[in-house]
Amino acid sequence: MGQFVQYLINGVISGGILALIALGIVSVFKATKVVNFAHGHLILFGAYFYFTFAVMLPEAAFMPDWVRSWEPEWLVAYRADAPSFSPKAAIASWISDVPRILLGLAGALAANALLALLIERLVMRPLLGQSTFAMILSTVGLIWVLEGSAGLIWTAEAEQVPSLGPNFPIRFELFGANLFLFSGSLFNLLIALALFAALMLVLRYTRSGVAIRATAEDQSTAYAMGINVPRVFSSAWLIASTTGAVAGAILATRTGLSPAIGLFGLSVLAVVLMGGLDSFAGVLLASMLIGVLQAMTQWKLGGEYAEIVPYVAVLIVILIRPHGFLGQEEIERI
Amino acid sequence: MAMKRRTVLKAGAALAAATMAPAIVRAETKQWRVAASLPMTGPFATAGQLVAPAFAEFEQQVNDSGGIGGRPIKVEVEDSGYIPRNALANFQRAMAGGDLHFYFGDSTGFMELVGPTLEGDNAVMMGSTSFASSLANPAERPYQFMAGPTYEDQFEILLKDIADKGGKTVAFVYSDTEFGRDPIEHGRKVAADLGIEVVLEEVTKAEGADIENHVTKLAQANPEYTILQGYVTGVWPQLIGGARAFGLQTQFMGTFWGMEKVIADRVTDQAGPFLDGYQGVMPYRYFYDQEDAPFYQQLGAYKKSINPDFPGYVVTWELEGRLNLELWKLCMNRVIEADKPVTPDNLMAELRAIDNWDSGGFFGQPVDVVDHKIGQGRVYRYSADSKLFTPVSDWIQV
Amino acid sequence: MITGHYKTRYTADEGIWSTWPKQAGLVAALVALAVLPLIANNYVLLLAGQIAIFIIAVVGLNVLVGYTGLMSLGHGAFFAIGAYTTVAVHHEFPNTFPLITLLISIAVAAAFGVLFGLPSLRVKGLYLAVATLSANFIVLFLIRQEWLAEWTGGVSGTETPNAVLFGYELRSQRAQYYFIVPIMLIMLLFAQNLFRTRFGRALIAIRDKDYSAEILGISLYSHKLKSFAISAAYCGAAGCLWAYFFPAILPEDFGLNMSITLVVCLVAGGMGRTLGPVFGTVLILLVPEILKIVFANVTDGDANAQMLFSPMRDIAFGVLIIGFLIFEPMGLVSIWDRFWRFVDRWPFSK
Repeated sequence: MGQFVQYLINGVISGGILALIALGIVSVFKATKVVNFAHGHLILFGAYFYFTFAVMLPEAAFMPDWVRSWEPEWLVAYRADAPSFSPKAAIASWISDVPRILLGLAGALAANALLALLIERLVMRPLLGQSTFAMILSTVGLIWVLEGSAGLIWTAEAEQVPSLGPNFPIRFELFGANLFLFSGSLFNLLIALALFAALMLVLRYTRSGVAIRATAEDQSTAYAMGINVPRVFSSAWLIASTTGAVAGAILATRTGLSPAIGLFGLSVLAVVLMGGLDSFAGVLLASMLIGVLQAMTQWKLGGEYAEIVPYVAVLIVILIRPHGFLGQEEIERI
Repeated sequence: MAMKRRTVLKAGAALAAATMAPAIVRAETKQWRVAASLPMTGPFATAGQLVAPAFAEFEQQVNDSGGIGGRPIKVEVEDSGYIPRNALANFQRAMAGGDLHFYFGDSTGFMELVGPTLEGDNAVMMGSTSFASSLANPAERPYQFMAGPTYEDQFEILLKDIADKGGKTVAFVYSDTEFGRDPIEHGRKVAADLGIEVVLEEVTKAEGADIENHVTKLAQANPEYTILQGYVTGVWPQLIGGARAFGLQTQFMGTFWGMEKVIADRVTDQAGPFLDGYQGVMPYRYFYDQEDAPFYQQLGAYKKSINPDFPGYVVTWELEGRLNLELWKLCMNRVIEADKPVTPDNLMAELRAIDNWDSGGFFGQPVDVVDHKIGQGRVYRYSADSKLFTPVSDWIQV
Repeated sequence: MITGHYKTRYTADEGIWSTWPKQAGLVAALVALAVLPLIANNYVLLLAGQIAIFIIAVVGLNVLVGYTGLMSLGHGAFFAIGAYTTVAVHHEFPNTFPLITLLISIAVAAAFGVLFGLPSLRVKGLYLAVATLSANFIVLFLIRQEWLAEWTGGVSGTETPNAVLFGYELRSQRAQYYFIVPIMLIMLLFAQNLFRTRFGRALIAIRDKDYSAEILGISLYSHKLKSFAISAAYCGAAGCLWAYFFPAILPEDFGLNMSITLVVCLVAGGMGRTLGPVFGTVLILLVPEILKIVFANVTDGDANAQMLFSPMRDIAFGVLIIGFLIFEPMGLVSIWDRFWRFVDRWPFSK
């Protein structure tokens, strides 16, 4: 039982990241009816931007020292007696990284937002009115453009980036088993859930959120009601790219920065469809479920089975519920 | 680079030539041609981009010193995106471009794909990035070789090292790829022979693995030693970091592709001294260990001469590529000295005949080529303080 | 001014190559295909063979996506099934006649096609695309399993047999070309004719509006499954030829990458037209190679320059795809139509 809880925790943590990635795909789909195959590469850019602003920029000559490593006196004193790998040491080293982590996140958000606006303006906007199929395939084309650009700009470096939160193991006992989790992962999970919740609130209570929901409901009616639909599209891409930037930063801290991050987007597609393409709540549910199922499979059956878990699960779910858990059923009229 | 009209014309003409030139009409060899596929885009772009300079420098260095047998060499590098089918097309295109004297492949998949076609006119001496056991097979793959020990050999070296230290339990953690699985079966057998119990076999994704789960399973199995296989830039540092932070005492070990100092240093810089004590088998000397390595000294001096900012370290992946080229050069020189025609068969015969060769420092002892591979290696340990891998064993022959 | 073609018989109206310029073009194309191996080198033949095989697969995908309106991102699986069936057949019966193997591959792939098609009865659009994508992953997962490794070679792939026709082993790419291209032409012809039958038109009706088609008395149930079967059969044939053509196969050859490539070929060429897949495949498979040749000539194969140019090649390819979708969303085949309209109306065309 204790072990079960352990894998449950692991699963929820990876589910949180899946949800954050899926969030971007859903928000673009809801507004524009386009499934963004290049979302993984948007995330890749987010990760590289985070690296640029959190690692490369602080090391530039013109940056003040405290950005690279913030060492106020109280921190030095606090750190002095902490043994290595202890929570205290981890927190201390995190605090001295805080300036560049914040710089990295801010930079990544801004740069990725700019990138998304460019994509929306140069690629998606000219395709307005074409079949959704053409729009989806243009995102496939984007994969090559983004991957090539990343290779050109960052010469495909494999790099390491500072973790978003302090990273030390948390141990506790439950049902007679020793359980643990990493505070860094917990921190990532909290960020993911907070972003998710914030977005839900925005969609529910702000003007632009209502505009997005109206557009998702019915584009032409939204137009008729005076909603600036192209701007809704832009804001959907903005949401996707900024949450993608955070997801990219998290992935880079978890798995190391490399062009392989781009592949994540495609594997999340199954999760999105399982939850229902246009339902945030469904996708959150599906992400958690897949995360937990994958962890359990890894525990009991091993890694080769864990990899196909999302695909088997999505197949089963959409055979029973053709629009995912909470996806809206399309009403067809002849 | 602006495309001038002439460039376009030249490209067009070359395009037509590449398309239409029948294989029979080949110009007389004026230079020795070497071609390579490297993964300069795609998921393993990091490795490809880091290896590529070795080829440009080799070309220049050889030509500066008068070429091979008085003729200059030409090195052509092409991107494969790590897709075997693309690499095969690259290879065929290189073949169509005239006489080809050496080819460097970028993956086990490509080597397996091209292997059966290397016969008659299509034969070329061929090295690669891969240490897959199936490629060290003179009977089935008469033209392919590797510049080091196979993954199976590397596993064996590690397991023997564990046995020597009195280790009793080991875990194998490997990626779900051909590369990851290659030595596992052999590893099980060797472990059984040595009386080491394999307490866990954990399959992970090749990139972006779920670290928490793997660390949890490792903690349950609690092996004394853990061998990692099938990773390049990712997973292994995070896995070790996770296990360290968790407080696992298991000794991590790796093989060639997971032993790169550049990656280890970056982890140390950004995440802390997690990799301290990490061990693994490396067929070659690291580049900073130059004292007994005249070749490394020369290479370092050369790099310094063309690039004053050269930081003084060459990644092991580049060294592997370079050693492949050096072996080819050696075979070329020997074939030419013996006044034999430069054919793939003669080159491979010279390769097989390499015996007691002083590699100039790549390996610690003179090496032999047996079964198209070089069965030598050494166990190193990483120190986060000095940021160096230092040897903890003698050179081991397998 | 020519506004149309004067026809006196229904057969003339139904003809595939209705005008003499088209007939001349067809003859020229056939002659070019027949002569190509005599002047081309191995590299060109490798590409030609690969393109011919892909054309078969994309034509198959077109039956499903272009004519029946069902989306699939899992056709790489049928490709894999065809290829591995061929390997398995030769493993059990080493001297099987290649065309028999081809038929077996087609049959097995078609059977899997029906299985894959089952979700299509409930699921549509993107959900179906992801259902097929999942099925693709599951098939590859099975192929990698150890207990099937005797026939599939497992994770590390397997070497594939060569076709032996009447005691003559097709080893060279030239010989294989002459084996593959006729099969491709026959299958193209079959696909073209399929949509001149009642069955084919029924599929088109389903694409245009499935409920309406059902009201007209078309059984969605059987037609969708048959469409899946035919489509899979084409890919199975392609897989079989792939196994003969390449000396070895790996499971990851047939992954998502291939499935997406097939769809991209189809869309670039133009969906719902027989020639669309042909143009699309030639474009999508040739462009990266042409870019490579051009860039290799600019850089002269220099490693340092290639480090820069390789990513640029990816960008160029992506921009090309996007550009196509923006400026020619109906695919290459619409350029083709404009061309023939021009020819028809010449000298009055502008």
